[in-house]
Formats: sequence, C-alpha cells, structure tokens
Amino acid sequence: MAASIYLPMLEYFMYYLYQAVVPRTVKMAEDQDWTAVYPTAASFKPSAVPLPIRMGYPLKGGVSPDKQGNLELIKIPNFLHLTPAAIKKHCEALKPFLTEWPSALDSDEKCTEHFPIQVQTKDFVSSGASLRNPNARIVTMKVPLSSLNLDDHARKKIIKLAKERYCEETDTLTLVTDSCPLKQQNYDHAMYLLTVLYHESWKMEAWEEDKAREDMEEYEWQDSPSQRNVVELLERTKGTEERKKDLLSQPEVQEYKDAIVIMKNHGETEENLLRYKEAVKKLYNI
Amino acid sequence: MNLPKLCSRLLPTVAPKLRHRRIQTTGHQLEGVAPELSFSEPNLVSVFRTSEEDPALHSETHLGQYYEIPPGHVQQLFPHGLPRRFQLQIKTFNEACVMVRPPSLELISCLKRADYSKPAQRYVLYGHCGTGKTMSLCHVLHYCYNQGWLILHVPNAHLWVKNCTDHVESSYNPSRYDQPKQAMEWLKNFKITNDHFLSKLKTTRRYVWTKREATEEGQPLGELVDQGLNRLKNSSDVVGALLRELKLQAAGGTFKLAVAVDGVNALWGKTVLRKMNREMCEPEELTLIYNLRKMMKNDWCGGAILTALSRTDALFKPLSAYRPSELLGEEGFDKMEPFVPLQTTSYNEKEFESCYLYYLDRNWLQHSHSLSEEGKKELVFLSNRNPSVLEQLCSFI
Repeated sequence: MAASIYLPMLEYFMYYLYQAVVPRTVKMAEDQDWTAVYPTAASFKPSAVPLPIRMGYPLKGGVSPDKQGNLELIKIPNFLHLTPAAIKKHCEALKPFLTEWPSALDSDEKCTEHFPIQVQTKDFVSSGASLRNPNARIVTMKVPLSSLNLDDHARKKIIKLAKERYCEETDTLTLVTDSCPLKQQNYDHAMYLLTVLYHESWKMEAWEEDKAREDMEEYEWQDSPSQRNVVELLERTKGTEERKKDLLSQPEVQEYKDAIVIMKNHGETEENLLRYKEAVKKLYNI
Repeated sequence: MNLPKLCSRLLPTVAPKLRHRRIQTTGHQLEGVAPELSFSEPNLVSVFRTSEEDPALHSETHLGQYYEIPPGHVQQLFPHGLPRRFQLQIKTFNEACVMVRPPSLELISCLKRADYSKPAQRYVLYGHCGTGKTMSLCHVLHYCYNQGWLILHVPNAHLWVKNCTDHVESSYNPSRYDQPKQAMEWLKNFKITNDHFLSKLKTTRRYVWTKREATEEGQPLGELVDQGLNRLKNSSDVVGALLRELKLQAAGGTFKLAVAVDGVNALWGKTVLRKMNREMCEPEELTLIYNLRKMMKNDWCGGAILTALSRTDALFKPLSAYRPSELLGEEGFDKMEPFVPLQTTSYNEKEFESCYLYYLDRNWLQHSHSLSEEGKKELVFLSNRNPSVLEQLCSFI
C-alpha cells in the first residue's frame, strides 16, 4: 500500500525535477510567441535563448567558450526584447495615438518641395533622479537654399553670411541653436535667424558697391587680365582691323576662356593643364 | 683605342661631315676614354645612344636615347647654363650626353611650326623636382643654337633675388637697386655665347653713362657689353639697355631671339634682399628683375620665350608646389599667360632602361650587385625613376 503511494510521489518529484533541471530551450515550440520569453529588456539567459552562440577569446582547444555560464554574453546589452514581432506589437499598441501619414506625400522630393524646412530635435528618457536632460534643448534646422526666393546677389550674400553653416554639395543651410534653455525658445530663435538672414541678403548696402575682383566667389573671365592678354595678343597678331567683339567671338578664344575658367575655379590638375595647353596651342596656331 | 674607327664600325649611317667634325673637335679630349664601348654588343649601344647630334632632326624614334652635345658647343652655349651636377658628370665622363625626352621634343616641334612674324610665344616647363626641366631647356637651347638663334639665357633667376650682399641704389632710377656683380657675371657669359652677333648688331640710340662716357648710336653691341664689363657701376643698366636693343631688333627678322629663363617664378616671387631702410625689396625694385620682366611680355616678335619653373630655389613656397599657378603666383600667372605648359615627369620604363645602360656603359655603376636584375629593381624602387635621385644614387655605387 505504501509503495503504491510512493510511486506516484516519485513520479511527481521526477516531473518537477525535470521541469527544473531541463532547460526551457528544450521545451520550447518552434512557433512560440518570442515576446513572451523576452517581454522586456533582460540579461542573456542561456537556458532561455535557443541559439548555439559562442563568445569570447578562444580556449586552448581553439574555439570560443559556449553560452553556458558565459559572462561575456551576460555583460553585453542584447536586443532580444526588440525582435520584429515585438516591434510590431509596439506599433499596434501606439496606433490609437497616431494620425495617418498624408497620402499625397509619397516621395522624399515631394516632402522637400512642400516642407523645405526640416527641424531636428532629440528627446531623452532615462531613469534617474531627474527627468531633465540639457541636451534636449538643441534644435537643428536645415533648409535647402533652392527653396528660398533668392536672386544672384542675395544668394551670394547669404552664403557669405552663413559661412560654414552652408554646405555646397547638398545646397543646405544648417542652423543649430542651443543658446536658450528651452527647446521651444531655441526653435523660435532658429526661425528668427532664418528670417533675418533672408531679409538681410536681399538688402544692398552702400559699401557693397566697392566689391573688388578679389572678393568675387568665382572667377569671371570678363574684364579679367587674362581676357586683356588674349585680346592684346590677337590684336598684335591680326592687326587692329577687327573689333574686340569679333576677336572674342572666335572659337579658339572661347575654348581658351573655358580652359582658364575651369583652371581658376576648380584648381590646376593634370587634366585641366592639358586642356589649357591644347587651347593655347590653337590660339598660337601651332 | 682608335675611337673614330670604332664609331665608323658601329654607326655606319653617320654622315662623313659629321664624323669629320667629331674627329676634329673631340680628338684631343676623348683620348683619355677607356674602351668601354661594348662593340661586342653593338645593338645594345644603339638602344640607349643615338648618333644624331642635331636636335632639329630628333624625332620619336630617338626618344629615350642619349645624344652627345659637341664639346665646342658646350663651352660656348653653356658657360653657366647647365645644372651643377651635370657639369660634374661632363667632367667625369668626358662627354655631355643628354637624353631625348618628350617635353623637349614637343617644344622643338612647336618652335619649328611657329610663325615668327607674330608676337613671341611663351612656353613654361613645369614638373616635380628633379624631373628634367633644366635639362629639357638646355636641349631646346642647343636646337636654337644650331639653328643660329641669339641665345639670351638666364640660368637661374633666383640667383638675382637672394644671396646678394652688394646691391646698391641705382644711379639711373633712385627707387631701384642694382646688382653689379651678378650683372657683370651674366654679361660675361652672354658675350661668350653670342660673340658672333655682337659685332653685327648696332645700337639704335645713344646711351650716356657719365659726363664723359657714352655709347653712340650705331655702335656695335659688343661695345655696349664691354662698357658693362669694364665699368662695374653701370653693368646692371647695360643689361637693361642690351635687353631693350635685342627686343627692338629681333623684329627686324635678321635673327631670331631665344629668351630662356630658368626659375622664372623668381621674377614674381619674393626677395630676401634688404633695402636701405631694412625692409625687404620687392622684385620689381631690382633693376635686373625689372628689365627681365619686360622681356617676358609678348610685345615683341621674332623669337620665343622659353622658361622653366623651379621649386628648389623658390623662396617662401611650399615643398609640394610644382604647378604653374602655385609657383608663379597670381600676378606671375596673369603676366605670363597665355603660355604653353609642358610637363616633365620621372623616367618611364624605357628611359630608365636607357639611363641604366648608359651608366653601365660609362662604368659608373661599380657595385657588382648593380649589374643584376635585382640590383636594377632596387634602383627603381629607391629612386622611383626620378632622374636626379637616380643620378645621386648611382654616384654612390
């Protein structure tokens, strides 16, 4: 009678032992819900992660140690709680709080066309004594200059005023404001700076009339010493019967002008110098 | 060793006149040459040497080959024009051999095709240090000399903007400074090169030097030059007057004028000479530079302006600068353009091979390892095929 009671007790004991000793990875189904295994950020549990991972400096045998009792794996942060399935669940949970993206804005170009000003801010969440983070006040505003209504003079002036805040390759003006304590204030300050830059660049000051050849951003061939030299050379070669306009409209002169403008604006390279050489040879008729 | 006979065996295509001239002028000098010419391999010699001594007849077939400048020409044409190391090499090898390379061939072909009734054309040789700018210029000058041009060669314009302690205020124009020693040196060498012209050309106006001394109109230019050589005080002004005369008379068509300036970036750079009030001189305040700048303008015809840049002697320029606008500066570039830029580069494989064989032939490479393939590869690696570096390396071996 006693034996019959003990046997089921032994079975129950074995069953619970089995539950405790055998790792969860063995008992997992392949189509299980992973978000239930790692619902939040947790450290790496080798018995709960069914992956044959190895990490660390190779042992004497020549292989990295396996995951059982591997401190390296526990130390590092993992994103097992942020699998695509988990993210999907988060999105579904957030959906009631969001509005739909406008269907007309389906490409990047359309977005920049209708909303050229791009404002970037960062929000910080951390667990600590204080909620506040001083880096959250920084506001970055990016505007492409092509979207602003600027004529030639205004464009050159705004680039000169902005100095290194303007990027030539992407044609963007970037304003970073962090002088005020609040994000709202910094945003207003950035908008104010943009307005002021725009209006100032359209104004023409009295002293801007004195802009000399050295202040020009790009090399201009018209009225340059180079043009004078070429005209003189041609005048001496052909005599003064032809007018300056006719001399300048010749194809050799145009080719020379292109070569010189490229050389002055983009610097001297082997290619540019070769081109210049050909142009000069044509000018000299050799 | 009977060199003329050897030459006739190896180079049967040499014209008799040329051979005759070779014997006449080189006989006494080449006696000391040991029998290095490897007549057991005549083909090898013709790989790196050519018998064509007239640069006008050099063509693409001669690229990479050495040709010899006759010693008589060397003494007359280049009293001061050759690089110092090359002069040492001439003394050691007893011959002046120059390699025929693309930039100089291109320049010579441009000179052949140019129209000399039009304003003078400007050519600028540029390239990294030691790639052969001065040597190419000398090759082209040899061509001009053979064609009978008047050579106005300033071997290094940088000599006039530095290392000069005895510059004085000019008597002609008090805001300028004379350099009597440099001017006299240059006049002496100019006379050696162009003696035969100086008796034919006449002055076009009267030059008054002092109350008692003057050079009248119609006197041969030789007298003008002698005035400069005899009177140290007036030598810089004589140089100015001479340049002016030559510029005026080149248009006449009786002779062609080759203005060759090495280190032309000195004309528009900075100087290190101090004025009386302890400030630095500007280049245009030096008489010699001022007059040379006037020659660089293309308002004269009947010749060509051949120039080469130089980074080695340049003052206050970064080490990596070698391109025209970097070395000439903005002002220099504006004044020199339009010019034909010609680039000199390090040796290519064929030229390096040629140079190596030449040094072997001259018994210059003494080390046994240099004769092997590996030795040659080492030389290529160490010098990166740069001509001057290779030359300096080989002088150690």
